[in-house]
Amino acid sequence: MLRTNGLVLSAIAAGLMLGATAARAETEITYQLWGSPQEGEVWQKVAKEFEAQHPDTKVKVEVNDWDSYWEKIRVLMAGGTPPDVFAMDAPLYPDWQSRGVLLNLQPYIDAEPVILDDIYPITLEAYKTKDGYFGLPRDFQTIVLYYNKDMFDAAGVAYPSDNWTYDDFRKAAKALTKDTNGDGTIDQWGFWAEVLDPEPYWGPVVWSFGGDIVDIANGKTLIGSEKAMQAWHFINDMWLEDKSMPTTEQLQQYGTDGFQAGIAAMGVSGHWSVPDYAPAKFKWAVAPMPKGPAGRVTSVNCAGFVIAKASKHPKEAWEFVKFAFGPVGQAEAAKIGLAVPIRKSVAESPAYLQQTSAPIDHKLYIDALQYAHTKPVFRGYEEWSAAVGDALNNAWTGAMPVDDAVAEAVQNGDDALAKNRQ
Amino acid sequence: MNFGLRPLGREKLWVLLLLGPTLLGLAVGAFGSIFATLGLSFFKWDLLTTPEWVGFANYAGLADDRMFLRSLSNTIIFSLLYVPLTIVCAMAVALLLNRRIHGVSLFRTLYFLPVISSPTAVGLLWTWIFAQDQGVLNAMLGNLGIPPVRWLGPNMALYSVVVVNVWGAIGEGMIVFLAGLQAIPREQYEAAHLDGANALQRLIYVTLPAMAPSLFFQSVLSTIHAFQAFDYIYILTRVGNGNSSVPTLVFSIYRNGFRFFRMGDATAQAIVLTAIIFLFTLVYFRIQKRWEVPA
Repeated sequence: MLRTNGLVLSAIAAGLMLGATAARAETEITYQLWGSPQEGEVWQKVAKEFEAQHPDTKVKVEVNDWDSYWEKIRVLMAGGTPPDVFAMDAPLYPDWQSRGVLLNLQPYIDAEPVILDDIYPITLEAYKTKDGYFGLPRDFQTIVLYYNKDMFDAAGVAYPSDNWTYDDFRKAAKALTKDTNGDGTIDQWGFWAEVLDPEPYWGPVVWSFGGDIVDIANGKTLIGSEKAMQAWHFINDMWLEDKSMPTTEQLQQYGTDGFQAGIAAMGVSGHWSVPDYAPAKFKWAVAPMPKGPAGRVTSVNCAGFVIAKASKHPKEAWEFVKFAFGPVGQAEAAKIGLAVPIRKSVAESPAYLQQTSAPIDHKLYIDALQYAHTKPVFRGYEEWSAAVGDALNNAWTGAMPVDDAVAEAVQNGDDALAKNRQ
Repeated sequence: MNFGLRPLGREKLWVLLLLGPTLLGLAVGAFGSIFATLGLSFFKWDLLTTPEWVGFANYAGLADDRMFLRSLSNTIIFSLLYVPLTIVCAMAVALLLNRRIHGVSLFRTLYFLPVISSPTAVGLLWTWIFAQDQGVLNAMLGNLGIPPVRWLGPNMALYSVVVVNVWGAIGEGMIVFLAGLQAIPREQYEAAHLDGANALQRLIYVTLPAMAPSLFFQSVLSTIHAFQAFDYIYILTRVGNGNSSVPTLVFSIYRNGFRFFRMGDATAQAIVLTAIIFLFTLVYFRIQKRWEVPA
């Protein structure tokens, strides 16, 4: 009787110990990001490889579309249960970092002397603060010119060259704007761009004309300067006088991306558009951005990883970030084809350069770093961007002359900057 | 309003018991969030850090918040057009369909269809109708020799979205008015007929007074819908980047709370919205009382 009891007891003890080890193996961390289900799958693969090397940790990957993603993170954060690791967009980073909800990664980085060695320095800039890094870049986007070869061939216009200026670009766009079916309305435009956010188009144009966007230290919106105004007039004339770009209303008839819809001969975008454009029925290629009076400038922006300060497993979360930021994670992520790896050894290897799904010049996006300015990164970015975008839109709909619209954008933008100063 | 049935004795217990779950949900869910909204409107809160008491600063700030003022004026103009148009159109449709004609249930279904259709899909369809170059509307105008109109351009967009919203709301108003019309006793019409009242007089002296409660109910409902209008407007006027060329009050609340880290400002705007709807409802109550007394 006693014996059996002893057996039972040891069985229970063993069971408890097993349970204990099982519980330890079940340290689960979450990684949330915005993006498509396919992106979720790729990160799931990265997580699986991480788990194979770290049997004690499980990683739960959750992906949401952009809008729901930010709502969800805010609500989870307010409820005190944020994901351990989540994706960040550099312009929004100061809003989160300055509110003290992100973990300072500096002590962890200090313990890994070579971790930043292989990284393109410009991609680190946005995440650097006076107190260290509270996030690390995941991948980067530079803006390049996309062109529809079939439309250029049909119109007998020479492809964009490395020496193109904005004047050459404007002339070509005008020659490519046509009424192809002869019904009296234009149905092919030379160019299309997303014009509310500075990143894809107006930022690079303002910079190439010698202007600047914001002076964060003094809370000033600079897009009304004399040089910036030349850029605005260039955009305005090409759009509203040459009519080489579809209006918002015209674009609406075909979709949301004019280049993808096959109604615009040229477009500007980052690498994120490549998977969208790859299945297109027309032949297309990429070229560097045109040169302006102040030279060639494009913009660079980085998505990144951050760890919530409230995470219960900061060590495991850091291990995952380190892995995903490292060569294996970056090589896997390069396969998504949506962005460029921030690690030189990966970006300059076949993993990124030779993507079978889209045989274009992928190196162009890396070369663009040499003449790229960082997309503005400051506290209140999203509010500022909406305030400026709303006002500028008045020019593009024809409700206001461009000078008035820019003046209103500066005023609205300065209001937003003032409201977000600490 | 008078209810036909009144619970008696033990029935009252059952009524309370059966209504309990709903009432509890209302008390905690609806009233809870209303009070939370009111409370938060006196705080500066970004959802991430501890709320900070600011008194009436959020309300004071609204007066020179250009983006808020623009959305407020859009919403007010929209409502001033939407409510009367919806009432008139829905009433006209209800009067036309309140008779024995062939296929009356088909017509009723057709008019009600927009109410149960997905606003996103219907919004996209209207985008095609309003389209500048290949739009249905401009093609029709073109046949009459009229140059194309930019229906969703800066001058017309607000009116175009009013049309779509009224169109979408006719069905709901029609149901309410049909119910009201069918409750009017036939004898009243017969009496009026004997007294020599013509169709117009019957409408003014018999139908409309009898319809006062339905009209009142539908006006309150339409006003609430008008101030909360969002989906059709957003789909028809979005300009990429999550912005809209006709921002409404609800859009502004969403943007401030969930985009700009300004939950305090967003809740203050929500309280302003509630106050406006409340004011309108009070006005309707007054009008209804006046209307009902002589009858």
